[in-house]
Amino acid sequence: MSNTWKLMKLMVKMQLSFAHRSTAEKTGYLILAVIMIPFGLLILTLLNELIAAMYAAFSPTGDEAVILGVLFVLMTVFYCFISIGTVLSSFYFAEDVESFVPLPFHPYQIAAGKAAVPFLSLYGVNAVILLPGLAFYGLHSGAGLLYYSSALLVWLLLPVLPFVLTAIAIMFMMRFVNISKNKDRSKVIAGLLGFGFVIGINVVIRLEGGSQNMYQLAAGQGDLLGLVTKFFPTAYISSSALAAPASIQGILFLVLMTALSAGGIALFFTIGQKLYFKGVLGLSGGKRNTFTEDTVEVYVKKKPLIYSLFRKEVLLILRTPTFFTQVFVQSLILPVLAIVLIIMEMDGPLGGAGPQLAEMNGKFVILASVGLSVVVFGSNPASISSISRDGKSWFNHLYLPIPPSKVIMSKMLTAYLLNAISLVILSAAALWVIKIPLSIWTAWFILSLLISWIASAAGVMVDLYSPKLDWTDEREVFKGRFIGIVPLAIEALVFGVILVIVWNINSLQGLWPVTGALLIIFLLLVFLMQTAMRKLTERRYHNLL
Amino acid sequence: MIEIKQATKNFAGKAAVKDLNLTVPDGKIFGFLGPNGAGKSTTIKMMTGILPLDAGSISMNGVDISTDPMKAKHQFGYVPDRSDIFLRLKGMEYLNFIGDVFDVPPNVRKEKIEYLTKSFDIYEALNDQIHTYSHGMRQKIVVSGVLLHDPDVWILDEPLTGLDPKSSYTLKEMMREHAAKGKTVFFSTHVLEVVEQLCDEVAIINKGHVQFRGSMKEMKQQFQEDNNLEKLFLELTQNE
Ligand SMILES: Nc1ncnc2c1ncn2[C@@H]1O[C@H](COP(=O)(O)OP(=O)(O)O)[C@@H](O)[C@H]1O
Ligand SMILES: [Mg+2]
Repeated sequence: MSNTWKLMKLMVKMQLSFAHRSTAEKTGYLILAVIMIPFGLLILTLLNELIAAMYAAFSPTGDEAVILGVLFVLMTVFYCFISIGTVLSSFYFAEDVESFVPLPFHPYQIAAGKAAVPFLSLYGVNAVILLPGLAFYGLHSGAGLLYYSSALLVWLLLPVLPFVLTAIAIMFMMRFVNISKNKDRSKVIAGLLGFGFVIGINVVIRLEGGSQNMYQLAAGQGDLLGLVTKFFPTAYISSSALAAPASIQGILFLVLMTALSAGGIALFFTIGQKLYFKGVLGLSGGKRNTFTEDTVEVYVKKKPLIYSLFRKEVLLILRTPTFFTQVFVQSLILPVLAIVLIIMEMDGPLGGAGPQLAEMNGKFVILASVGLSVVVFGSNPASISSISRDGKSWFNHLYLPIPPSKVIMSKMLTAYLLNAISLVILSAAALWVIKIPLSIWTAWFILSLLISWIASAAGVMVDLYSPKLDWTDEREVFKGRFIGIVPLAIEALVFGVILVIVWNINSLQGLWPVTGALLIIFLLLVFLMQTAMRKLTERRYHNLL
Repeated sequence: MIEIKQATKNFAGKAAVKDLNLTVPDGKIFGFLGPNGAGKSTTIKMMTGILPLDAGSISMNGVDISTDPMKAKHQFGYVPDRSDIFLRLKGMEYLNFIGDVFDVPPNVRKEKIEYLTKSFDIYEALNDQIHTYSHGMRQKIVVSGVLLHDPDVWILDEPLTGLDPKSSYTLKEMMREHAAKGKTVFFSTHVLEVVEQLCDEVAIINKGHVQFRGSMKEMKQQFQEDNNLEKLFLELTQNE
């Protein structure tokens, strides 16, 4: 056991140490922390208000434990979601996994060590939401010391089972994914897993909740808590324990929770011992194909240079698991999520709401939808990682006789392609589900094409100005860089000003005149961006190393 | 022919290469010898347009790398010391990309790719992504890329490091053939022995300065006469 403990401490130290981080990164975190303070206060106030309101609604029928139930269910979903990513990367994708295998440790010990940081990081979320949540509930219910001590225990225990079960599920899965012996493919599956989880939860919640809301339920149903926590036994047990902390029943529930958590940990060790190495060993990057004569034929075709460069960019994104999930999947997550929501609402207020738009003020409709496009396309992970994605291979662009403008253009086109895909997905939803009038869609589509271009250019320029090239793990391209916010902030400002001005020009009315005016302004912006991009390329392109 | 005049490169105020002058003639294998950190890679990166020069000028077959980079870059092929080429491309895709960059006609591509990769024993791996290759295999795919577009000037940074004896032999033979055709071969190394086997002419660089330039025979004489060079000689022989 002491070895396990030592290993866990070592891993925590290694992963959390700030020693090897640059001062810029440290100040970055500090700035982020300062920015988060008002947000934190806002969240706390909202949380308090929410709990107060719910308490007032539920306490008359004695159903106030439902508040805890809801809180615990939400937290459980949260734990599972976060753990999928952190467990996968810590257990399987971290660079150091293979270096621990030869050391004389049991598999369960290494699994435990690897679990330490992902598990502890859950308490970050826990401290921000669950801890104040429990305290507010205590305040509103006027609870005594016993409640608070039980609540503290529940707070500590709640993440255990969701985490352990997620980790076990992942170990099972990786055991089988490993049949393909393909690290890259499993990284991609892993990326999609989180994506699927988000959509799945959405669907479940919507199907379960239906159109009935809590208050209606409160009036009719008896076992409200049981209903809310249907799929989440630990949430049920915890809520019941805290509902009556002084009663025998409450204490029994608390003991049960403790026992279950301990059992979960034991199960984790047992299964870790059996499965962990099976998933890890033989994880090797890439796959081997044999090469045959006729494949040469397929490849040796002359293509324009810009096409070759563009293809290279797209392949890099599709073939690098981190880029695939962070760039490709992420830029599609919003539109796909939007569509899932819209389709589920088919019979609801949104389904076929389009025709109503035609009756509204054309100017307002187009300005609002343009604003929406700025939000959706504003921060494009493909654009802000354009140069950084190349990392240490960037220098290859420098000695080959490729005009810098073509390299930059190929990166622009890649970012633009991703925006265009979301644009098409959203269009499909808008036209077929919401049934937006063709004229409004046309205006929006044309303007959005330009917005996407401007947004992509802004992202590429920001990354060209200060790329991160010396990474050893692709995630560094996105982690701890504040670059993503910069283009979004600039765009919010520029487009915000434009929209406000156009809105206030009273002589400009109607869908088409407004669209025409915006079109001219946006074309001008595109031109400006291209000029700026050319200047920046001249200045920065050869000076990035 | 490569002409380097007064080339200078500073890193954080410290000179890595200072006022370097060198002329690499055609038809010869030219060795660029020096211990680790001498400034070999820095010089080569300035020659190839990777690092902008802080002062001085470099030209390839009379074309200045700073003022006409596109044309200059068509004159040479470069084999970097690091193997971080486009790792997510398959070997075949990489070669085809190089073909597109240098406008190599498809029929020439097909023929050369088959010939080159078979003689380097990487033909079977052409359908794998380059990041699955070993260092030596990556070296070979880059060399194949250079030979594919067949430039006049070859610039190779420590090309033999990491190659197995057979591939090392193949590459050396190719370098000799290229020089025999009257073209330019310039390569760096920190191993004296390699220079002795391969070179017609040699320049020795240490701490960013060229300390010697001449034929192999002259180099051996100098090593005995010059005290400084003798020390350097020991450094270059003992470490290997
Ligand atoms: N990017 C860089 N930043 C700072 N110093 C560098 C950089 N590249 C090289 N140097 C320094 O320049 C000197 C020459 O390096 P290099 O040309 O790589 O030597 P080598 O002869 O081994 O190829 C070394 O002292 C090295 O530390
Ligand atoms: Mg070097």
